[in-house]
Amino acid sequence: MTDRPDTGASIQFSGIRKRYGSTVALDELHLDIEPGEFVSLLGPSGSGKSTTLNILAGLLAPDAGTVFIGGRDVTHLSPNKRDIAMVFQNYALYPHMSVAENLAFPLQAPGRKLGSDAIAAKVSQVAETLGISQLLQRQPREISGGQQQRVALGRAMVRDPKVFLLDEPLSNLDARLRLRMRRDLKALHQRLRSTIVYVTHDQSEAMSLSDRVAIYMGGKLQQFAPPLEIYRHPVNLFVAQFMGEREMNTLVGQVETTERGCVMVSGSLRLPLEDTATWNRLHGRQVIMGIRAEGVQIATSEEQQSTPAKVRLVEHAGAEQVFFAEAGSTEFCGRVPADAGLRAGDAIQLRLLPHELFLFDAATGLALVQSGQPVGNPA
Amino acid sequence: MTFKDLPGNLIRLLISMLIAAVALMPIVWGLLSSFKTPQDILRTVPQWLPNTFTWQNYASIFKAGTGGYIFNSVLVSGGTVAVCLALGSIAGYGLARFEFAGKRAVTVAIIAVMSIPVASLLIPTYTMMAEAGLVNTRTGLILVYSAYQLPIVIWIMATYYQTLPEELEWSALIDGYTRTQTLTKIVLPLAKPALIAATLFVLTFAWNDFVVAVTLLSSDTVRTLPIGIYNFLGFYGREWGPLLAASMVSIVPLVALFVVLQRFFVAGMTGGGVKG
Repeated sequence: MTDRPDTGASIQFSGIRKRYGSTVALDELHLDIEPGEFVSLLGPSGSGKSTTLNILAGLLAPDAGTVFIGGRDVTHLSPNKRDIAMVFQNYALYPHMSVAENLAFPLQAPGRKLGSDAIAAKVSQVAETLGISQLLQRQPREISGGQQQRVALGRAMVRDPKVFLLDEPLSNLDARLRLRMRRDLKALHQRLRSTIVYVTHDQSEAMSLSDRVAIYMGGKLQQFAPPLEIYRHPVNLFVAQFMGEREMNTLVGQVETTERGCVMVSGSLRLPLEDTATWNRLHGRQVIMGIRAEGVQIATSEEQQSTPAKVRLVEHAGAEQVFFAEAGSTEFCGRVPADAGLRAGDAIQLRLLPHELFLFDAATGLALVQSGQPVGNPA
Repeated sequence: MTFKDLPGNLIRLLISMLIAAVALMPIVWGLLSSFKTPQDILRTVPQWLPNTFTWQNYASIFKAGTGGYIFNSVLVSGGTVAVCLALGSIAGYGLARFEFAGKRAVTVAIIAVMSIPVASLLIPTYTMMAEAGLVNTRTGLILVYSAYQLPIVIWIMATYYQTLPEELEWSALIDGYTRTQTLTKIVLPLAKPALIAATLFVLTFAWNDFVVAVTLLSSDTVRTLPIGIYNFLGFYGREWGPLLAASMVSIVPLVALFVVLQRFFVAGMTGGGVKG
């Protein structure tokens, strides 16, 4: 992270704890964010991601632990002294001020001794960057949601903060606009190189935007890694389920070793497994097997190890078809190209790609096999 | 509105007009009569419109010193509004936004004291003011009025603040402003409807109050308008003209203010009430 001209500040959370009454919102959070990094805090609601952000902003005080921004202990500093900017989910534009006044507001704060000319120049520069110059004289209620979003971003950008905090900034936009703003945000980050902490419950946003993703559940940080790493090597079943467009196909059962190789036994279903060496040592253990939709394919020739199944439902998704097929009493979701011409009721042979198989301990949920590789034994 | 609803709406309109007429009749009668000569007012078959239009009643009340009473009323009402808004807007903010020990007790106390009738407090209030040497002063009256009205002002303000999204204040804090600056630059401008509603509440009480003023004030130089009006009964015996003129002088400013501000008043009451 030293080869690029970072202007952002580093962030460290050290042993942060926070309770609301008897519920634990954050349990011993340790998190190190590099300068200029784009980090998403991802998790379901109530998982602790927003609490993390609010503690970083200084809107909440932690019960224990320390927060550093740019190496400086800010745990007991008020928000106005932290040199951060934040965009809220509802944008929080000041309704009694015009767009221009909203943008100028952070620059007029006491302690920032800027002349009105300098402020006006900065405001028009930011407005131009975001393409909102024509809106400067309007009131926030007179512009569209996407435009309000840009104004909120502009208000955060206007004083070149070292750290940007974004709290679900895209969730109030419609789907198409959300994709466009996602792209714009990414471009903005590449240009500004500020540190960005981005809270979201949308895994696709986290995956597409971030340098690294922090996944939360129940007040605990589960995993902090680059998106692809989390996708390919989730530390536990929750992370595996949460990351990815669709939930993983899962089935509970046991691995059995027979003379002809390994099989996953789940109820009446017996799935043959390739790569015997990977599975051998898990013989007899209660496990949860997981496989993503892209790992479920239709067998093309007889020699491939396959399982008979019946197609129940087919969804069209542009370039591909998503199908749901039943094998035994388990439903599998898979993908095929759109021209495969699959229909409900078809009898097919399912093939599970060995390098897409995951295995988790049934009791703890901890990963035993990730992307076909045993944990602690990287390829 | 569809044609089918027409009879129902007509009935509703008629009933509203009837209620308005009943409520307004004495006031309109008073207003018209304040421009009548004494003979016209006491005519045995009463007439709505004056035979001869005259300003004489108004001239006589101002000659009798009503100007001074108006001045005192403006001073006391304005002072009370200033004290109530200055304290109430800050206290309400505290209640709406901060957690502190005893918050629940404070809230309950504020609601509880609102239900105590003013008359039952007259004697203890008088004794306290006497000990403080504030009887027969306008300052004393401002303090007593403020004490009576502050709870409702705090309540109006607190419930309204709670309807404002807290992110606005967080945003201002992060933008580099202190709590106090956030209050003056963001919260108070947005709470304008509640401030206006509170102003009208306090003003109505302070401007109209008779019983507290007559208890606490004894000398003519500090008396407020309601006492002044009452005194016309004594000065002029059965002379209704000046009495009605003085009443109109007292009613008109307040009514005018309500007409101008009623839009905000309604917004303030409902805006605060929905979540409160």
